[in-house]
Amino acid sequence: MSLSGVSSSFKSNQLKSSNSINKTASERIADKIYWVLRCAVVMNIVALFFPAFNPVRISENVNKNMSLFSCALSHEAMLSNFKATLKRQEWLEPAFKSLSFCAVLIVIAAVVAAIGGCMSLGNRRLKKFGLIFSFAAGVIELIGVLQIKPIVNELSVLSYEAGKFKDMKLLFPNIIYMFIALAAILLVISVVNFFLIPKTDVSEKLEMEPRFQLFLMMLPIIALAFVFSYLPLYGWRYAFFDYKSGESLSMDKFVGFKWFTSLFQNAATKRDIVNVMKNTLAMSGLGIITSWIPMAFAVFLSEIKNTRFRRIVQTFTTIPNFISWVLVYAIAIAIFSTDGFINTMINSLNGENLVTTNYLQSDAHMWLKMLAWGLWKGVGWSAIIYIAAISGIDQGLYEAATVDGAGRFAKMWYITVPELIPTYCVLLLMSIANILSNGMEQYMVFSNAMNWEKIQVLDLYVYNLGIDKGLIPLSTVIGMVKSIVSVILLFAANGVSKAVRGESIV
Amino acid sequence: MEAKLSLKEQKEEKKYFKEHGSKVKPTFGDIVFNIINYAFFAIFTLSCIFPFYYIFINTISNPELVTKGAITLIPKELTIANYVAMGKVNDLWRSVFVTFVRTFLGTALMVFTSSLAGYLVTKKEMWHRQFWYRFLIITMYFNAGLIPWYLNMAMLGLTDTFAAYIIPGIVSPYNIILVKTYIESIPGEIEESAYMDGASYWTIFRKIIWPLSKPILATIAIFGAVGHWNSFQDSLILNANSPQLYTLQHRLYIYLNQSSNLGAIVNSGAGSADAGTLANQLNTKIIQYTISMVTIIPILCVYPFMQRYFEKGLMLGAVKG
Repeated sequence: MSLSGVSSSFKSNQLKSSNSINKTASERIADKIYWVLRCAVVMNIVALFFPAFNPVRISENVNKNMSLFSCALSHEAMLSNFKATLKRQEWLEPAFKSLSFCAVLIVIAAVVAAIGGCMSLGNRRLKKFGLIFSFAAGVIELIGVLQIKPIVNELSVLSYEAGKFKDMKLLFPNIIYMFIALAAILLVISVVNFFLIPKTDVSEKLEMEPRFQLFLMMLPIIALAFVFSYLPLYGWRYAFFDYKSGESLSMDKFVGFKWFTSLFQNAATKRDIVNVMKNTLAMSGLGIITSWIPMAFAVFLSEIKNTRFRRIVQTFTTIPNFISWVLVYAIAIAIFSTDGFINTMINSLNGENLVTTNYLQSDAHMWLKMLAWGLWKGVGWSAIIYIAAISGIDQGLYEAATVDGAGRFAKMWYITVPELIPTYCVLLLMSIANILSNGMEQYMVFSNAMNWEKIQVLDLYVYNLGIDKGLIPLSTVIGMVKSIVSVILLFAANGVSKAVRGESIV
Repeated sequence: MEAKLSLKEQKEEKKYFKEHGSKVKPTFGDIVFNIINYAFFAIFTLSCIFPFYYIFINTISNPELVTKGAITLIPKELTIANYVAMGKVNDLWRSVFVTFVRTFLGTALMVFTSSLAGYLVTKKEMWHRQFWYRFLIITMYFNAGLIPWYLNMAMLGLTDTFAAYIIPGIVSPYNIILVKTYIESIPGEIEESAYMDGASYWTIFRKIIWPLSKPILATIAIFGAVGHWNSFQDSLILNANSPQLYTLQHRLYIYLNQSSNLGAIVNSGAGSADAGTLANQLNTKIIQYTISMVTIIPILCVYPFMQRYFEKGLMLGAVKG
């Protein structure tokens, strides 16, 4: 926050943005037209990554989940199905080579167009320079796209001659018209703007206003966040379709809210859901009920006056937090399985009647066992935040309390704990907001045929349903409902926090 | 408080406590409390380290004794034969390699991106800064769900690729907030003077912000690296069909499950041939223990260096957008 005042003070010292001061009328029009160009550039780039917009998908044999970008990246992957269906396809190879070349050209065009689009944020000279890129991108894109139609024709002729026309399953990719339109937009706008933007001085530097410089530095990060955090939301559409993995989505498979209602109507699903929700809420609930334990851990640890002992405890109890759940399971095997530590120890103490209980193979007290493992792994780490808070408590409070005759427990209860309560409340609210998300790793590694019923939580259920059984729409529906409920819970928790403490937690 | 007391006063205070404090005898209740308290923490701490110790002594003891169940508290007939035998398990070392590379690359890219983004969002003059900052931060609070995420990755062609481990983790909103908060605490004058001298944003970032924010970058690097080392889900879901890309945790998971019904594997020949052949020479549990040790050791090696970053890492939970 301290920086805010400073940065506004040297805002006035920024590069003189000459083009904002004396713009000609035609230049203003050019600025408006640029928005069309930028939209075209963005669409062009987005289209690279959507399989639905793949102009080189000239046959059903090209995997429908392949985007133009992945086609350009791997010639082999694009043609893998051709190899399967048409056993030898050397006679197709030249045509396919040029098809891959088209894909590469279109990708290059998109990159060049992106560079041109970025330059459109600069000063006059940079804009003019950028128009060259936009024009070049349009030309490259046209070359690439216009070749596709002849290639399709060539392939159909070749395959007809070879008597394989049916196996080819040729399609005409109508999406090439969109690419032609995009290329045309690039070409037209770059020419028009070239005349609209007044001539520039050769001495003028290639510059850009700071606000756009900063934005362009940020742009790749924004793009990544969009692709990996926002784009998955596009997958929610599967919830409304009758989709089996490997098929394509088409409107005739649209089923509306069928999957949503089937959650409550299908008896088997309903039973599963009830069971899963029971497990989820039980384990999250137990987690919430025991959420005071790290605080107690910290309070009692701070009562230990031997610094070295305290440090040892802190060091070693934190280790489990940094190992994965798979390793925790490995440890569980080492200790509790048939030939684990416990059985070995018992057997070495009494030689007869060898014990071979496998504690991991029973479903008794599953919820409590999971809670115990969670505590074992997390309590040392969670306590650190409280330990840090305790070390920040004013020592004068304790001294004053001592003078007033407060005992050890009185000091813990009336000084330490109240100081920790605000931190505890925040963490508690967060864990309430996360009540449906207990993650799947822990439950997955500990699950087996015996404890299956008791251990399956919502996240694990979605995984099994979607990835293992391939019931994509149903698992999407569950995930969707879960996400929405979680967001609502988060806002509710935040609202409670605001109302009670006057501070938001998000 | 202590700083306010002069040295002399402090000395007097200490003297007072030496004379009077020590004379106050702990009550019976105090003694009982202390015993229980110490005992509890001692036991809990033991429970946290003993499993590691137990696994370790089993891997360095004579395999025959381990099979007989003779190793409980102390190692006997030390040997490194188990580790040597693991050398033959090719897919294990392949996974170790994959995991090392992903940890290194993934962490480096994540730290660089977080620091750059953290710096950029402190610049008030950025075009629509507030909007873009929220755009990044909001992704912490919602996700589309596992299946849409998987379908998205498949759509982008990131299934069965090594890139699937690296690229999705590059932008990490938590770490961006962390870096941003830290950079805001750096005095603005340093940056401003560089700006006056004509340095570009990139130069300021590289020459000033980057070196000054090293402590926080080290923190996020450590936590990021541990996260990459422990990652299991992405390997399991995205690269299920590419065994050559399995991460170490995924490999360990497979070994743990395969070896627990080892008889079936040896008889049917299904699953990993390496685990099967080894099982003839070594006991199931030794294989599991040794691979677990291979997986734990790197974490235990960096652990001492991590400790001083704990407090900063805790901000992870405490900072606000």
